[in-house]
Amino acid sequence: MDRPLNTNFVSKKELNHKHIAFSMARVPGSGHYYHGASDSGVYQVDHADEKPEAKRFTAEGHSSYILGTALNSRHLFTGGWDKNLIWWDRETGKAVRKQKAHGKWLRGVEVSPCGKQLATVSDDMVCRIWSTETGSLLAELKGHEAQTPNNYPSMLFCARYSPDGSRLATGDKVGHVVIWDTESFKPLQTLDAPGHYTWDPSARRHSIGGLRSIAFSPDGKQMYTGGIHKIGNVDHLGAKARLEIFDLETHESLAVLSGSDKCKGLVEHIEFESDGKWVVAGGGDHKGWLMFIDPSQPKIIREVPLPMHVHEFNLNEVGNQIFTVGHEKSVRLDLQV
Amino acid sequence: MTPSHNFCGSHEHDLSRRSFLGGLSAVGAGLLGTSGAVNTFAADGLNAALKKGNKRVILLWLAGGASQLETWDPKPGVPTGGPFADIPTDIPGVHISELMPKMAKRMKHSCLIRSLNTKDGGHGGGADLMLRGRRDEPTLKYPDLGAVVAKELGRMDSQVPDYVNFYTSTEGRGSAKTTPGFLGARYGAINLHDGKKLSLPNIEKLESITKGDHEARADLRNFLSSRFDQGRGLSAVKSHAAAYARVHGLMSCEKLFDISDEPQHIRDMYGPTQFAEQTIMARRMVEAGVPFVRVSRAWWDSHGQNFETHLEMVPELDRVLSALIDDLKQRGMLEDTLVVTMGEFGRTPKINGSLGRDHFATAWSASLHGGRTVPGAVYGKTDAHGNRVVEGEIGAGEMFATILEAAGIDHTREYHVGARPIPLVNPGIKPVTEVIA
Repeated sequence: MDRPLNTNFVSKKELNHKHIAFSMARVPGSGHYYHGASDSGVYQVDHADEKPEAKRFTAEGHSSYILGTALNSRHLFTGGWDKNLIWWDRETGKAVRKQKAHGKWLRGVEVSPCGKQLATVSDDMVCRIWSTETGSLLAELKGHEAQTPNNYPSMLFCARYSPDGSRLATGDKVGHVVIWDTESFKPLQTLDAPGHYTWDPSARRHSIGGLRSIAFSPDGKQMYTGGIHKIGNVDHLGAKARLEIFDLETHESLAVLSGSDKCKGLVEHIEFESDGKWVVAGGGDHKGWLMFIDPSQPKIIREVPLPMHVHEFNLNEVGNQIFTVGHEKSVRLDLQV
Repeated sequence: MTPSHNFCGSHEHDLSRRSFLGGLSAVGAGLLGTSGAVNTFAADGLNAALKKGNKRVILLWLAGGASQLETWDPKPGVPTGGPFADIPTDIPGVHISELMPKMAKRMKHSCLIRSLNTKDGGHGGGADLMLRGRRDEPTLKYPDLGAVVAKELGRMDSQVPDYVNFYTSTEGRGSAKTTPGFLGARYGAINLHDGKKLSLPNIEKLESITKGDHEARADLRNFLSSRFDQGRGLSAVKSHAAAYARVHGLMSCEKLFDISDEPQHIRDMYGPTQFAEQTIMARRMVEAGVPFVRVSRAWWDSHGQNFETHLEMVPELDRVLSALIDDLKQRGMLEDTLVVTMGEFGRTPKINGSLGRDHFATAWSASLHGGRTVPGAVYGKTDAHGNRVVEGEIGAGEMFATILEAAGIDHTREYHVGARPIPLVNPGIKPVTEVIA
């Protein structure tokens, strides 16, 4: 039976913490998640607790912001601006492997759907693929320019596996996307969404924005990319949130969706509801929001304000809870039936 | 200075303004053209002790306010510190941001001031304060740093400009205006705003006049002027002739803006950006005798995405500044050229919800390189989180006085506006002597 198109999520639990939570990974089938933080720590929150709170999971480990958090059945993987990738034993909280994974700041960590591959992206503009079983480096994916067209350093912000794990997409500052075969590690196709990148050549002479989030549709035929519209004043995240949707078979841009005036800033993360009936995107400027999209139209059907810039979130398997983490707060939202 | 340093091809560059005036002590103030009500002779020209060599100043103006935490005063590992690490430098115990690896190897040519508390977190007010060292009075407009340096280090007979300001971005240009104040237009900046075609404004030779005609007209004017002056010795004639010579010289300075003749390895050293190219032009200008050049790099005002902004802009500053230091050193000019980096303020230790840093004038940093500075000196200290100055607090006045001294200008000098003595800095203001050699 088709699930009704209900996106009536409301904020149910708000947690305050002193750190900025940049990344998260949830234990499947639970309200227990880990998040990587600005104080170099990894925290865990379990909404099964009577009074959920962010508890420090690890002691030492990273020495800078943790921008990537992912897990499989045995390990938690975190990567940060200290360039390190750390493997944590989920049972003991001990670091079992620590390696300098990249030459520059590490922006994201993703585990493949089968749990056997780990992808890391960094401002060295390389995506590295690691075996989660042996820790060995399987491949280096190089398809992004180190410099922007204006001769400034580019940034490789995000990576995302397709639901079947056969493809991996990587996206950079100027909106360039490369889709890779996860067996041969060859590039399959490229897309460009330059509308996510603003370069101001005259007033302020720097840039802002970039392609910050990617998600494949459940059938793997479409890709959603997230960022921000062109900005007049690049000192702020003052433009509307931006989603650009691509047809991966035709390579065409299908639509550009814009948040309202209440949804400004970066789209930091995108997730599809499991059967693809709706999509949720989260992000923000000084504050945050979630946007719900009906992909059949496609159009934004609902916007939910949140008290903090959302850096990442996770939708549970049955599609009735969303766990968000962000600037000094974490918020759980529940679906009202 | 070697002859190759003189782009305008005139040996007259070797004649300093002060020595020129020293030989003309009886000449009236009117000789100084547009200096208005200022009696510039009251304390000028006759004090040989003040002559400290042909110093030059390049100010890299970090418009909008660069973050001290992502440059000169990193605080890794604390909530205010941001994501970047610090790195050791060639001065033991001194660390700077990892975004400045090139400068980390050149701190022996640098000196840091980490204790600025300038109290004005507005772009306009902060820029005014940093560029003038004090507030205007209702009836008295103070000259900015460039105008003071132009007056002190410029040459009466110079055929190059005394004060050039590159500000090609539009943001903040109005906040950081150049002003000669009571010194008058003679010491005002030549402002260069067109990012596409940089050249001195309104000095192009008319296309309808050939180069030969242009030179012939100048020769004729000189001939008539000299003949008229024979036996008269009128100061007005000398002033008239000096003005023509100056304009004629300026017209031949076009080549200062053409960096195509710079060796490729020099251009590569600075990098391919507009800021890099303008800094090369600044070096060419000081080499040619321009006493003060400001290269304004806008815009650092990172209220959102501070770390991405600084990831773009600090490596550029690191490359350009280190290249400038190396370039000046290789040319034997570093001891005579003071390079300053500062803006109107720094940025808040507190990181806002957009991962930005806001305006912060309470505890921030500037850097000085070359000139009379003490190599490797680090003055002042902020607390562990960068929220306040805990040692060596100084304000804009002290910074202004320090720059003057580092450029070989006695900060205790006075001008006169009418009968009123006007010191270069407000009474009681002292330079940071710890950073002056």
